[in-house]
Amino acid sequence: MSLKYGVLGLLAEEPLHGYEVKNRFEAMLGGTWEVNIGQVYTTLQRLERDGLVRPVGSRGDRGKLLYELLEPGRTALNAWLSAPDQGPQRLHEEFYVKLLLATRLANGDLGPLLARQKRAYLQLLRDLNQLEDRAKRDGRNDLARLVRGALLHTEADIKWIDELSEKNGGGSRDTK
Amino acid sequence: MSELVRLTDITKVYQGGVTGALNGVSLAIEEGEFTAIMGPSGSGKSTLLNLVAGLDRPSSGSVTVAGSDLGRLSETGLARFRRDRIGFVFQFFHLLPNLTALENVLIPAQLRSRVSAASAGRALMSRLGIGEVADRYPSRLSGGQQQRVAVARALINQPKLLLADEPTGALDTKSGDQVMALFAELHQEGQTIVLVTHDPKLATRCAARVISMLDGRVIDDARLETTERKPADVIRVRSEEPSR
Amino acid sequence: MTAILVKALADLRRRRVQAAVIFLTVLLAMATGTMALTLMSQTRDPYQAAFEAQKGAHLQVEFKASTDPQLLASTPAIIGASAAGGPYPATSLQFKHGGQSFYVQTFGRDSAGGDVEVLNVTAGHWARANDEIVLTRSFAELNKVSIGDTIQVVSVPAQPTLKVVGEVVDIDEGSADLSSQHAWVLKGAVPALTTPGLSTYLMDYRFPSDPTSSQLQSYVDRLRASLPPGSITASINYLLIRSIFNITNQIITGVLSAFSVFALAATIAIMATLVTGIVISAFREIGIMKAVGFTPAGVIGVFALQVIIPALAACLIGIPAGTILSQPLLANSSHALGLPYVPSFSLGLDLLLLVGGLLVVSLAATLPALRAGLLKPITAITIATAPRGRSGGWLRRQAARLRLPQPIVLGIGDAFARPLRAALTLVTVILGVATVVVAIGLPRSFQLINNSETGAGNYQVVINRSNALPDAEVMRILNAQPETARVVALDGENIAVPGISDPVNSRIFRGDSSKLAYMVIAGRWFSGPGEVLAPAGFLHDTHLKIGDTFTGSLNGQALQLRVVGEVYDISNLGHELFMDYATLPPNTPNSDPSTYWVTLRPGSDLNAYIQRVAGTQPDLLDVHPNNTSLIGPVKIIDSVLLVLAVVLVLIGVGGIFNTLLLNTRERIQDTATLKAVGMSPRQVIVMVAASAGLLALVAGLMAMPVGLYLHRLLNDVVSTSTGNDTPPSVYGVFSIFELMAMPLLAVAVAVVASLVPGRWAARTNVIEVLHAE
Repeated sequence: MSLKYGVLGLLAEEPLHGYEVKNRFEAMLGGTWEVNIGQVYTTLQRLERDGLVRPVGSRGDRGKLLYELLEPGRTALNAWLSAPDQGPQRLHEEFYVKLLLATRLANGDLGPLLARQKRAYLQLLRDLNQLEDRAKRDGRNDLARLVRGALLHTEADIKWIDELSEKNGGGSRDTK
Repeated sequence: MSELVRLTDITKVYQGGVTGALNGVSLAIEEGEFTAIMGPSGSGKSTLLNLVAGLDRPSSGSVTVAGSDLGRLSETGLARFRRDRIGFVFQFFHLLPNLTALENVLIPAQLRSRVSAASAGRALMSRLGIGEVADRYPSRLSGGQQQRVAVARALINQPKLLLADEPTGALDTKSGDQVMALFAELHQEGQTIVLVTHDPKLATRCAARVISMLDGRVIDDARLETTERKPADVIRVRSEEPSR
Repeated sequence: MTAILVKALADLRRRRVQAAVIFLTVLLAMATGTMALTLMSQTRDPYQAAFEAQKGAHLQVEFKASTDPQLLASTPAIIGASAAGGPYPATSLQFKHGGQSFYVQTFGRDSAGGDVEVLNVTAGHWARANDEIVLTRSFAELNKVSIGDTIQVVSVPAQPTLKVVGEVVDIDEGSADLSSQHAWVLKGAVPALTTPGLSTYLMDYRFPSDPTSSQLQSYVDRLRASLPPGSITASINYLLIRSIFNITNQIITGVLSAFSVFALAATIAIMATLVTGIVISAFREIGIMKAVGFTPAGVIGVFALQVIIPALAACLIGIPAGTILSQPLLANSSHALGLPYVPSFSLGLDLLLLVGGLLVVSLAATLPALRAGLLKPITAITIATAPRGRSGGWLRRQAARLRLPQPIVLGIGDAFARPLRAALTLVTVILGVATVVVAIGLPRSFQLINNSETGAGNYQVVINRSNALPDAEVMRILNAQPETARVVALDGENIAVPGISDPVNSRIFRGDSSKLAYMVIAGRWFSGPGEVLAPAGFLHDTHLKIGDTFTGSLNGQALQLRVVGEVYDISNLGHELFMDYATLPPNTPNSDPSTYWVTLRPGSDLNAYIQRVAGTQPDLLDVHPNNTSLIGPVKIIDSVLLVLAVVLVLIGVGGIFNTLLLNTRERIQDTATLKAVGMSPRQVIVMVAASAGLLALVAGLMAMPVGLYLHRLLNDVVSTSTGNDTPPSVYGVFSIFELMAMPLLAVAVAVVASLVPGRWAARTNVIEVLHAE
């Protein structure tokens, strides 16, 4: 996703400076997305060019420019907010490529690869669990919700690995 | 830390079964550990827990818990073992419906001696956050409360080992969280806990050691790290610049 | 229909033990019920039939020997009798046979037949010569006299020998061990056998229709009015005889009926408990059955059939069994009536019992199953098990307060968790324990009565004197013996009393009779002349009470008598008077005592004494030890009570067993949980036993007053039927220890019965039960 709608969304609350946009965005995402201030300004410029936002204040003093949301910007934001995310499912490309290549190269014995990946996922789960605990303790509900999503995604990945493991080792296993 | 549980070459075969429920499992658990045993249904994880609890006997191999070789104990001996050395928490609570919550908690203590343990029971229930429902009947308690009563019952005789089989399986998320938080607390105070679950999120929540089982075998025994990591290292919300 | 049957049979196969319990209890209940009803239906008739067949005499009157026979011959017309027999000359005869002496009232009669009182010759033939004698079959059997035996008459100086040529059955007599018997010779033989002063005439009267008691009384009054005063010495009517005959049977059938009602009630309680229990345990199954398509009636049918089928099997075996078992008792009474024993039972009655039994069983099975029929399918499936009872908490807390071990506390709490089931179980056990109380108490009461009637423990030797030996001589002989401690001499007289039509049999005692074992119910023993005691029947019929005076008449002489006490005596259904010898007017003829009751000093040799005394006058004295054995009817009643007690105890055990099975099956989840948290198998058994024990204890305690009341009631019934009140000592036949021990015994039996379900529960496989979801 691009920064565009994030910026529009934050400006919808109140007019903000560029660095305020960066800080708020990062805070909202709990530190999981580090934003380059330059990217923020680039985005703001594009939005201004497209007539969705406009600076308040004199043009000359760029560091202290406050931006505000314009009507077209609000319309675009609402349209985006209400449209479902219809993008394709994103898979971990690295692991997937490893899987495909290993299948070819290791003559179908994916056991060790799968086992190692699963262990990594377990560790990730543990880390996510701990993060969730900390977020709840600190009252950071946005972060907690995010972590919850991550947990479920990781669990799904583990399920995938379990199935692959089954097919991998279970080809010869005939039940009863 | 001393060794609390040792399983050596455990097999368990049921009559009529072609493959065993357990096929040669060996493992050891130290005092103070929080161990999760994970696996799909039919993997043998519940069977394993039952053997450790003395609820069942292996077809071959030995089970030693808290210094006792369970194979040498009679039915009465096993009953005493279950009463004094372990606490078991079931998925479906299994409280006695015609006893109050407090009376349920006190059963293992009263099976041991006639000395009234009512005050200890109430104190324990308060610690677990269910002090005010002590005199209610299970039918009047929520699922989460009932399970906490079950936990109190499991702890009343200060067992060396706390065993839980899918303890949150019959609970809603919120109650389940409460129970898991309870386990985490108990572990922090030094209680050795073994948790059986099919849910990896639960397994990794409190346990630093995750044993994975499949078809009656241990296929993985992972000790996980418990270092604090920054959010950004754990979750990456991807950013993508649209090409212009 | 087939589906219902198939399902019911399948369930039955699964519940074999409980089917067996139903089968056994219904079997026992139906057998006893059938026995009772068969007896009741069959025993009234034979007597009447025999009476009619023998053209029995409605009224028999004994007249003084000096009465003019011509006058006697005219008496039938006076009272409107349709047929008459006699006058038969009669005398009291004493003879020896086999070393023993016997007394029989002997009548002169030329044939067994006639218009009235036909005698049924069952062996041999009627007397044909003056030296032949006919005895009753009962007498012959008891004293082992056979046809062809000779007896030696000792009551007359000539001491003739007579030959026994025939045996008859006389329905007017009781059995030989209870009452004195008659004998017959030809009319012409009587004068030679007559002891002067001891002869009478007997007339038998028969009327066109069976007269009532008051009619009979009026006939006797009319006779008395038309004959010289004092002519009538005794009379007896068929109603009295019939009631004496029937008492035993009435008591037996009464007892059987009452207790078979108990057995049936207990069995019904068990069946209801079982069906309710099955329904409760099969809740989920009911939902599925309905979802699959069983109608409510079909569901009810499935559950009801599981009880009806074993019950039906039990009826099919129990009813014939009860009928067969009633036969020995019927044979007994037929024998006594001189009827050949014909297996008699009423097929109609048996069929009625079958239908009735099935109806009752069906009701007991269907009503509890109604709940199953009315259950909504979705409710049944979702709830899966019926709501488990919560009561029992109070009991449990009390037990906990007593610091009893935990398994016992839990078991006690369980006992009443389902109040209805506990109540039904209590009913079965109460009935069982109450029956045991009666079965122990009543025989004891009978023993007390028997002792008082036979003087058991009081006097050891009974001596009868022949008229040829003077009374003074007998007393001299007895007093000369060093072992003789006390002698009470008896004389019997018939005293006419206002208010009673027949002269009343009176026992005249000489000697220290107050120490005899008679039970004085009120007042006191007589202490001087003119004072009398009598049983309740006499007092009631004469409207007298203690302290009242009345005038009796003996041989035309008036006697001023005062009632000083009420005594217990079953002879003559309570028409009896007890008085001292001094009461008799000095010149009363034939008033010398002829029976002597001797009490020996402690440590005396009974046999030596008897031999010595008998040896002094072997022909004129009959000396024998006091026969204190139980009379026949009492023995029969005692055995019937024993059987009933066993039946009801078995049913009670069945009830507890059934309830425990249901409870342990229902509580299997809880038992598994308890085992999981550390209850050992032994503790489980204790828990189940405690449950059973508490039920039995409560039931046992409740049963004691019930049983004691029944005991009292039955004693009163028996006493009243013999014309007496019940003596207080007869009620109190239990010691305190026994009364306390009986509930405890019930507890012990219940605990033993609980071992089977207890062991089953102890063996529960925890994992299977708790993880099966």
